[in-house]
Amino acid sequence: MPSMNAVLFISFLLFSVGVAGVLIRRNVLIILMCVELMLNAANLNLVAFARHSGTVAGQAFALLVMGLAAAEVTIGLALVVALYRKKDTIQVDQINLLKG
Amino acid sequence: MESLLASIGQYMFHIFGLMAVGGALALIFSKNAIHSIVGFLLSMLAVAGCYLTLSAEFLAVAQLLVYAGGIVVLFLFVVMLVEMTKYKEKGLFQTQAPVVVAVVLAGAVAIISVFWRTWFAPDAAKALTLSPGLAQGLDVANQNAQAVSRGLFAQYLLPFEILSVILLVALVGAVVLAKTERV
Repeated sequence: MPSMNAVLFISFLLFSVGVAGVLIRRNVLIILMCVELMLNAANLNLVAFARHSGTVAGQAFALLVMGLAAAEVTIGLALVVALYRKKDTIQVDQINLLKG
Repeated sequence: MESLLASIGQYMFHIFGLMAVGGALALIFSKNAIHSIVGFLLSMLAVAGCYLTLSAEFLAVAQLLVYAGGIVVLFLFVVMLVEMTKYKEKGLFQTQAPVVVAVVLAGAVAIISVFWRTWFAPDAAKALTLSPGLAQGLDVANQNAQAVSRGLFAQYLLPFEILSVILLVALVGAVVLAKTERV
């Protein structure tokens, strides 16, 4: 039985690695994967608190978050493919259509 | 042997958690996108293991199906579709990467100091411990799928239905976005 602090700490580490990945990488695909990583860290917290409180709400919402993550990654990858067709690149620093 | 297994089982969560963090680090720092995906896969599998040690069996299996079975394959498809070797010489990281790493480390130190207080300080607040319990007559630990289904289909039916609409919108949106333009 892990202690609550261990779960929270692992979840925090996963989340901060995800934040760092979103901010430092140039590749859109890696950035999407890091967003998934952050969602998983949040899920881990939800499951831990569900275990702690003895109710099932956290696990149910973790399932909902999982479905939402699937929808998000579908849209994100479709955007990446459309962007690659249009701009011929997936490096975020070369995608500056909105820059005046 | 029995006691060895028991003592290992006590630390299963820590092992899986460190595997997850290691996979995440491999995801960030590997040059090849395929290697990044392998790190992502390792991280997701380890998170599923974490769910198992937290006795959320249904969620662990769902994690395996959705992430290892679905999302990783989707990422692999797109990586194969998009040619990235052209831009390899442009560099892996953003130009502001050192600043970002410094800021993230500062935030991490702030949060770690909170953990430090709860763990080591003499006047530490009493740390929360995980306790198995009952949810409306169901044992969450032993009847996991039943308990989750009761939560999902009775108590939280409205978010579930909203999620189904979101999935439909995502489906249509993905088809529209990825369609080739034809007049």
